[in-house]
Amino acid sequence: MFNQLGGGTNNPNKDVEVTSPPDDTVSSLEFSPPSVPQTFLVAGSWDCRVRCWEVEASGKTVPKAAQGMDGPILDVAWHDDGTKVFMASTDKSVKCWDLAANQCMQVAAHDAPVKACHWVKAPNYNCLMTASWDKTLKFWDTRSAVPVMTMNLSERCYCADVDYPMAVVGTADRGICLYTLEGKPAEFKRVESPLKYQHRCIAIFRDKKTMQPTGFALGSVEGRVAIQYVNPANPKDNFTFKCHRAGGSTTGSFQDIYAVNDIAFHPVHGTLATVGSDGSFSFWDKDARTKLKSSETLDQPLTKCAFNHSGQVFAYAVGYDWSKGHEHYNPAKKNYIFLRPCFDDLKPRTT
Amino acid sequence: MGRKKKKASKPWCWYCNREFDDEKILIQHQKAKHFKCHICHKKLYTGPGLSIHCMQVHKEAIDKVPNSLPNRSNIEIEIYGMEGIPPEDIKEHEKQKTGGGKASDSEDDEPAAKKKATPALLGAGPSTVTQGILPTPMAPVPPGMYPGHAMPMNHMMPPFMQAPRMMMPGMRPLFPAASVPTSTPSKPTFPAYSNATISAPPTTSTASASEPKENGDVRPPAANTCPLVTATGAGSKIVHPPEDVSLEEIRARHAKYRPKPKPDAPPAIPTSVSAMISASTSQAEVAAHMNAAVAAARQQAAMRRPVMQQMVGMLPQLQQLQQLPQLQQLQQLPQLPQPVRVGVGVPVSMPPVMLPVMPQFNIMRPIQPGVLLPGGGVMPMGMFPGGMHGLLQPRYR
Repeated sequence: MFNQLGGGTNNPNKDVEVTSPPDDTVSSLEFSPPSVPQTFLVAGSWDCRVRCWEVEASGKTVPKAAQGMDGPILDVAWHDDGTKVFMASTDKSVKCWDLAANQCMQVAAHDAPVKACHWVKAPNYNCLMTASWDKTLKFWDTRSAVPVMTMNLSERCYCADVDYPMAVVGTADRGICLYTLEGKPAEFKRVESPLKYQHRCIAIFRDKKTMQPTGFALGSVEGRVAIQYVNPANPKDNFTFKCHRAGGSTTGSFQDIYAVNDIAFHPVHGTLATVGSDGSFSFWDKDARTKLKSSETLDQPLTKCAFNHSGQVFAYAVGYDWSKGHEHYNPAKKNYIFLRPCFDDLKPRTT
Repeated sequence: MGRKKKKASKPWCWYCNREFDDEKILIQHQKAKHFKCHICHKKLYTGPGLSIHCMQVHKEAIDKVPNSLPNRSNIEIEIYGMEGIPPEDIKEHEKQKTGGGKASDSEDDEPAAKKKATPALLGAGPSTVTQGILPTPMAPVPPGMYPGHAMPMNHMMPPFMQAPRMMMPGMRPLFPAASVPTSTPSKPTFPAYSNATISAPPTTSTASASEPKENGDVRPPAANTCPLVTATGAGSKIVHPPEDVSLEEIRARHAKYRPKPKPDAPPAIPTSVSAMISASTSQAEVAAHMNAAVAAARQQAAMRRPVMQQMVGMLPQLQQLQQLPQLQQLQQLPQLPQPVRVGVGVPVSMPPVMLPVMPQFNIMRPIQPGVLLPGGGVMPMGMFPGGMHGLLQPRYR
């Protein structure tokens, strides 16, 4: 195990540190899908590389391989068969990394950096969905250089998520667009944003009973998350809550409001985790509308988080997210990825 | 009191069965005895409110209402004064009253003595709550403040205002940040929108208050035009660069992350090169020049190769090239004399692999072919071998 003794300011939560972390901030973090028996973690970083570790049951992490692209990585996605990883970069392309052969191949291209890439596995087709700052959303059959479908977005894509048969994209103008992927991808509806500030991250959640995607959680730069149902039974089902704020014993006084950098839903419990620029992560139960846990604060922002497919492990990445501009960037500061067992922490509150 | 006028609805406390003369007193009693937090002594308004307060603020779960009868200790039932009492319990109480006789009356005499002249509970609410955002509790927030963006809010406002208390029955309140000790269990959207809308547009003193509330428009700052930072006057600040552009976009503009034109071969130039370049131009200018140069370079890559050896010798002469706009000029360079004052250490004689150690550069000046770095910082020229684009790689602050 790689726990630092006593935690320290680098690891106040006393979580397991992943070995050989990237040299620059992690921009994307994903665990392998259930189709492979071992657990792999891939992380894309601003150092232009994507790294892959095997995570053993004991918590030990073994670096396995790495691949580079011509620009910082903005997103990574696993193919559903667990053998390939897609990497999207500021070099305006998306590559497919075949892990077994350790080879890369370009599978998509845009006119501007590609902010998001997701693999879509439908009963009747598979494709790669990519969204870019060039204001387009494209779907690719990875064998062809021409997208099978291109859709225009109202603005640059800032965040996106896919959970078949639903896809959602958050854009720069605080726009939200929902897509249905059944049969073939099609725009479903545009939703007015429940938040008043720039969209930063989005994650789809499922209905507890039907296990079908039924809504999404949207995070903004103003320390707030909105829970939004696509078809709420009651308009009051949609709500927002504040998070990742510091200071101020009374609301609003000398409070520092931090961006919510990532949101992830627990695959089993349906509860969610948020990580913020303030350097902490929190677990929430959206149905009980309560906070389950707040972590200790680290000295750097948390940029990304992920659950493994069984919901046993929670991973979070620590590194500077540029929230205070380039002046506060210190390339000498080490970047981290931490893992922690989380199944019990994320159990819903039984109210 | 001679008049034992037993009002059919003499207020009584559901939790402990005590009777009171007045509902106001009953409510005070409930707040003090049943809805008071045992940790911080904060008085809440309802049982569920107390439960949530303890959970959020003290992280402690409460399962029964303090000082209550065993069969009336359910914390989830929302009782406020006489409201919320389940009908069966009302009947039961009436029966007990008629059955138990008036004997029970004489036992309740406490609240009469402590009569705090509390204003309407509604008024009291917000002040204890110290929300600090809504000056008038549920007062009619000017509808103009919530134009298109808070339509859902508008529906909620009216019912909210009718309720005499902060929480609607059955509504699980929002959970504010843990650090906020106030238990403001208001409706979910309420603090959210009130905070956001009131603080959202930088209206207070910033000159760029382009969306003043008077317009009835609370759109947050438009992209690229207004700062994001709130100016509530209360001192809350969003930790984000002022531009309303994503952090990734801002970061990607940084020299370190900009695309590097592919070098033809691995770089080999030592860092001494950087000494030659004088610093001073702004990054933007450099970047702009570099981009232009890259474009030119790419076009001319093939042409330049044969020229490279001679170009290296030209370095000191570049002074004269200041006016030479394009690469084409470089091809005249071969005529210039040779003193290679480069100090670059570039193995000039190595034809193919001239690729400079781009990364070592501190290019502060545009490296256009022909444009000279003042002070003779010319090593860039030495890089030409592989092609101009080689020069433009490193962008460092």
